[in-house]
Amino acid sequence: MTILQIALLVILAIIVGQIPRGRQLGMLAISTFAIFWLQPNEPFVTLLFWLPVGTLAITLLCWALTTPLESRKWGENWSAVAILVSVTLLMDLNRVFKFNQIYTSRTPNLELALAALFGLALITILIISWQNGRHFFQIVALAAILLIFVIIKTPGLIHIVSEYLVNLRGADPADKTTPLTWLGYSYIAFRLLHTIRDKQSGRLPPLTIAEYFNYAIFFPSFTAGPIDRVERFVKELNAPLPLANDDWLDAGTRLFVGMFKKFVVADLLAFISLSNVLVTQVKSTGWMWVFLYAYAFQIYFDFSGYTDIAIGMGRLMGIRLPENFNAPYLKPNLTQFWNSWHISLTQWFRAYYFNPLTRAIRSAKNPLPVWVIIFITQISTFVLIGLWHGVTAGFAIWGLWHGIGLFVQNRWSEFIRPRIPTWAQTQGSQKVLGALGVFLTFNYVALGWLFFNLANPAIAWLAMKKLFGIL
Amino acid sequence: MEDLIMTALEEYISTKILKQPGRKIGTDEALISSGMIDSFSLVDLALFVEDKFNVRIDDAELNAQTFNNLNELAALIESRQKK
Repeated sequence: MTILQIALLVILAIIVGQIPRGRQLGMLAISTFAIFWLQPNEPFVTLLFWLPVGTLAITLLCWALTTPLESRKWGENWSAVAILVSVTLLMDLNRVFKFNQIYTSRTPNLELALAALFGLALITILIISWQNGRHFFQIVALAAILLIFVIIKTPGLIHIVSEYLVNLRGADPADKTTPLTWLGYSYIAFRLLHTIRDKQSGRLPPLTIAEYFNYAIFFPSFTAGPIDRVERFVKELNAPLPLANDDWLDAGTRLFVGMFKKFVVADLLAFISLSNVLVTQVKSTGWMWVFLYAYAFQIYFDFSGYTDIAIGMGRLMGIRLPENFNAPYLKPNLTQFWNSWHISLTQWFRAYYFNPLTRAIRSAKNPLPVWVIIFITQISTFVLIGLWHGVTAGFAIWGLWHGIGLFVQNRWSEFIRPRIPTWAQTQGSQKVLGALGVFLTFNYVALGWLFFNLANPAIAWLAMKKLFGIL
Repeated sequence: MEDLIMTALEEYISTKILKQPGRKIGTDEALISSGMIDSFSLVDLALFVEDKFNVRIDDAELNAQTFNNLNELAALIESRQKK
C-alpha cells in the first residue's frame, strides 16, 4: 500500500468508526472496494477485475459451506449481499464513469459481470440446498484453496498459468513479463481454511455474511495480516470497543509509528540491505555483515510497521486486531523468537498443523521416541511455514534452517536443564547468559534471512561464505 | 478445588516437562510466553490435562491467549468440569 492509499483508508476508517448504526455494512462496503482498488494494477489489466471477484466468490462459497441452514438469517444477509453486488457492479461500471485517478482497471462489460454474479449465486444456492454433500464439499474447498495457493505461490506454475491467461485474452506482449499476483490471497486463504477446519471440529459459531466477509477481507489486514481468529474478531465486530480520548491517541500513535517504521526506517535501510547485486559485487566481509543486519532490520521494520498500521486502523473502528510482533530480536532463544515473530501465522500453523500432528503421533499405539517426534513435527512445520511465503527452494531452506535450529535448541535445553550448575543460576550470570542468548539467536535468524531474501540458494551460499571470510 | 488442580499441574510441569522435580512454579508465572513450556511440551500438557481431569483443550486453544499461567489453566479446567 502507498502512503496515499493508507491515508484514504484511515479517513474511511474514522468515518465508519463513528456511524452508530450499520457500521458492519459500512466496513463491508469499504473492504469490498479496497480489494478491487488495491489489487496491483499491472500487467494483467484485463484480469484485474476478476481476481477480486474470485476472492469474493471463494469467501461466499466458504460462508455457504460453514453456516448451518437454520442460522442463515436472510433478513440480515440480504443487505450484505446488496452491498457486495453493488460495490462489484460499481467497480465494473467504472468503464463508464472513468474515475481513472482512483481505479484504472479495464473492466469487462456489464453483461459479463452480471452473468458471473448470477452464476456464483446459482452455485451458492446449490451448495446451500445440498445439505448432505456438505462434508464432502468442505473437503473439496480445503483442497481447492490449497491448490490455488500452491499454484500462485510456485514461480514455475504461476508463470505457465499467467502465460496461458495472457494468450487467452490476446493481450499485450508486455503482459508476459511479470507473473500474476493475487493480492491478499495468502492471508484470506488461511482465514478461510481456519473457518472450515473449525466448522469440521464443531467450534465455529454461526455467522452472517457481513460477519464472515468482514473477518475474511477486513481492509486493514487483508494485504498483510494479522490473521485473526474469527470468533474473537466477530465478538468485537458486534460490540466495538468505545473510542475514548486515550484510544484516539493510541490508534493515532500506532498509525504514526507504523508509517515511520515502514516508510522511513525500512525504506532507508533498503538502500544498504542485502540484495543479489550487492552480494555478488561486495568483497569485504565487514560490509557483508552490514548488508545482512540492514536487511534483518528492514524486514522487521517494514512488516511490523505494516502490522502497526493495520492495528491502528482497526482500532479506529473499535476492533483490536491481534499483535503480530513482540520485540522478536530481543529474545534469548529461537523458541521465544518464534513466539514473537509473525505471531498470528505461527499460531495458525500450531493450531492446524503442529498440534494435531504432535497429538496424533504422541497418542499412537506404538509411540516413537520423543526426539524423533520433535524432529518430524518441528522440521515439517517450519518447512511449511517457509513454503507459505512461496514454493521455492530458498523458502524451504529458510524453513529448514529454523526447524533445525529449534530442534537443536530443544535437545540442548533438554540435556542441560537437569545439569544447570549453581554458578549459572545467580542473577549476574543469568543476565550474561541471557545476553549471549540474544546475540546468538539474532545472528542465527539473520543468517537465515540469506535464504529468504536472495534469489536462490547458490547466491545465499556465496553470501554465507563471504560472511565467514571463506571467499 | 483449584488449589488441587494447580498442585497436580505444577508437579507434572516440574517433573515431566522441566525435569526439575520439586521446582516451585508461581501461580502467575508465565508458562508459554516465557518459553518455559515449548510447543511440543504444550501438547503433552494438554494430553495430561485431558487424561487427568477429563477436560478437552482444543489444538487451537494451546496458546498464551487461552492460558499463560497455572491460575488461568486451573480456572479453565474448573470451568469446563462444571459444564
